[in-house]
Amino acid sequence: MAVITPTRSVRAKHPAPSRRAGIKSLYPYFLIGPAAILTLVFLVYPVGSVFYYSLQHSNVTQPWNDGFAGLDNFIAMGADPLFWRSLAFTGQWVAVEVGLQFIFGLALALLINKTFIGRGIARALVFSPWAVSGILTTTIWILIYNPSTGIGRYFADIGIGEYGVSLLSGSGTTFWAVVLAEMWKGIPFFAILILADLQSVSLELYESADVDGAGTIRKFVSITWPHIRQAIIIATLLRAVWEFNNVDLLYTLTGGGPASSTTTLPLYVAQTAIHDRDFGYGSALTVVAFLILTFFSLVYLRITKSKEDDK
Amino acid sequence: MIFSRKSAVALAAILASTMALGACGTGADAGSSENGEVVLELWDTDTRPERTENLKTLISMFEAKNPGIKVNYLGLPTDSYMQKISTAIATKATPDIITPKASDISALVAQGALAPLDGDFKNGGWEDKISPAMTKSSRAAAPDGKLYLTPATSLADVIYYRSDLFKDAGLSAPTTWDDFYAAAQKLTDKQSGKFGYTFRGGSGFFSQFVEMVYPQAGVESVFRADGTSTLDDPAVVEAAEKYAALYGKDTAASDLTADFKTMVAQFGAGGAAMLSHSIGSYPNHVAALGADKVGAVVPFPAKSGKSVLTGRMTTGFSMFQASAHKEAAWKFLQYTMSVEGNSFWAQKSGYLPGNKEVAKESWVTQNPAMQASMTALENKDAVLLEQPYYLPEFNSITATEMLPEWQKVLQGQLSMKDFLTASAAKLTKAQQKYMKK
Repeated sequence: MAVITPTRSVRAKHPAPSRRAGIKSLYPYFLIGPAAILTLVFLVYPVGSVFYYSLQHSNVTQPWNDGFAGLDNFIAMGADPLFWRSLAFTGQWVAVEVGLQFIFGLALALLINKTFIGRGIARALVFSPWAVSGILTTTIWILIYNPSTGIGRYFADIGIGEYGVSLLSGSGTTFWAVVLAEMWKGIPFFAILILADLQSVSLELYESADVDGAGTIRKFVSITWPHIRQAIIIATLLRAVWEFNNVDLLYTLTGGGPASSTTTLPLYVAQTAIHDRDFGYGSALTVVAFLILTFFSLVYLRITKSKEDDK
Repeated sequence: MIFSRKSAVALAAILASTMALGACGTGADAGSSENGEVVLELWDTDTRPERTENLKTLISMFEAKNPGIKVNYLGLPTDSYMQKISTAIATKATPDIITPKASDISALVAQGALAPLDGDFKNGGWEDKISPAMTKSSRAAAPDGKLYLTPATSLADVIYYRSDLFKDAGLSAPTTWDDFYAAAQKLTDKQSGKFGYTFRGGSGFFSQFVEMVYPQAGVESVFRADGTSTLDDPAVVEAAEKYAALYGKDTAASDLTADFKTMVAQFGAGGAAMLSHSIGSYPNHVAALGADKVGAVVPFPAKSGKSVLTGRMTTGFSMFQASAHKEAAWKFLQYTMSVEGNSFWAQKSGYLPGNKEVAKESWVTQNPAMQASMTALENKDAVLLEQPYYLPEFNSITATEMLPEWQKVLQGQLSMKDFLTASAAKLTKAQQKYMKK
């Protein structure tokens, strides 16, 4: 489809080179101007500056070393064990979080889509964690895991486990403790999106399937799943990107520890750039994270689109 | 669509005013009010409510003594104040006065942000009025050895103990390292959730590590003369192994990630009988437990008899180089070192006063934590251990790089010797680079 710009059409209609026509031709630019300026200032410039700094030595504590670094920062990553550890943990974190949130979100959506007494209250309860702010979520979970006042203390009181133990500092428990906290907030997101799609499925389809003798699984595979598939693709992609970039919950719950065992790549970026004030290396890490996210998003959309086209 | 010239002009005016609005959102105040009053901007990096209240009172006292100077207080988030300061430096919107930690001085000086105070300090006669040890410590925090932080007050490391629990267990105040370890063991009762000691396994671990390991080892400096780190000294390794063995045995397992707030809360709630921290937290312990239940001793001498004193970190005020009111700002800084200002500020903060006259006041001599710190200085074998805050890499090495490895040691995934050898190499590299400069 050919694109006709407003400028061209105005000129074609009013070819006279009058001053009024000149101003008129600028009208569309006035309209898009504020949005373009905002985009340039708040999106293009910050992203561009991160790419720029990734090629620089820029450490606030050692300004005498500042200058062009070429690919030094990227080469340094190869020998940085914290980078590889945080990258591996990020992959594990995204896969486990998105997978579990999807499974439980789908189950919850199917459950609260049924008609039962108190469904309104059940729906409100299911969605409520999503409405709670990030810092409140972490505060709630910090209190739950607190060894003196949290759930561990009450278990110890009845003889289960020991006093002075926190799930957030155990070598085998920290990962699942933070996964649980993040799931609590993430599951409602899947449930909301899937439920919205479920409600658009015509009941007549299920009635027809009942007449044909289809069972629950058959109805799910042939009617429900095709309807909610698009919502799931979008939800998993968005959630994967958000989980990849998760900093707030992990930073406040564990600070990336113990022993860096819960440090994601963005959290490592925060530690490098904000705590150590090494903006050059921090920017290079950010560029790598950006490229990884872009690559996997494109691959994911491509795969899901081809499957859609095959159908 | 009809589009008149008038409309175009109006639209352009709206756009221009929108941009102008955006532009006037920032920019430092010139610092003078309409009535000719000098207005100083003071940013505080520690926003504990009681401290904020005390600092505001100090400001009021100063303003009453100095008509024509007004000080505006701004509290920065304790966890992220350096972000705000770095942004202010980059945008040339710094305030007049700041309360940096000694460990921040190196980074701020590297950016040329702070004003050296040596000339004013000498001309004002403060070299005679202020503790020489604190002045030396303040200068040691800067990479160029100049004075950027007023030696108004100082911290000092002590070991707090629950005097009531010690009495109930038939123990007297510990005076040796053997006493300390024996008490930690005796006062631990895991079945009832009581532990002999609370361990700093998380953020800020290095200061507690130095406090408990170096005096025990009798090693008085973080570096040898050739710039190599003493972290891998056999005596340090041995002391560190003994100290780390407390974790999980006589401390809560959750101490693996404990920071300052967690430790203080655990001690205050009765979960731990001993705690290593600075004298600054004494008011918190008294508020939580009562003065009769809190005792304090300084880390004990080594077997060699040498007494290594740690944590003598100056806590004062600094002036920004870009301040337009340096004279007025210096007046405020002087007030915090004067008998009146220093007495109020040090007492309310729980810090050792820098002013020699104030150090003789009864609130200093009657505070057990301060008394222990002052008395320790009288020992002829006492030496002050200075941490290398002047190294630009100090924070990133001890926090970002060493903390995860330290937690691995506590979890039994890494040997203490390997940990200290690798950490010593990093500090040595930074120190030798510094020495070459």
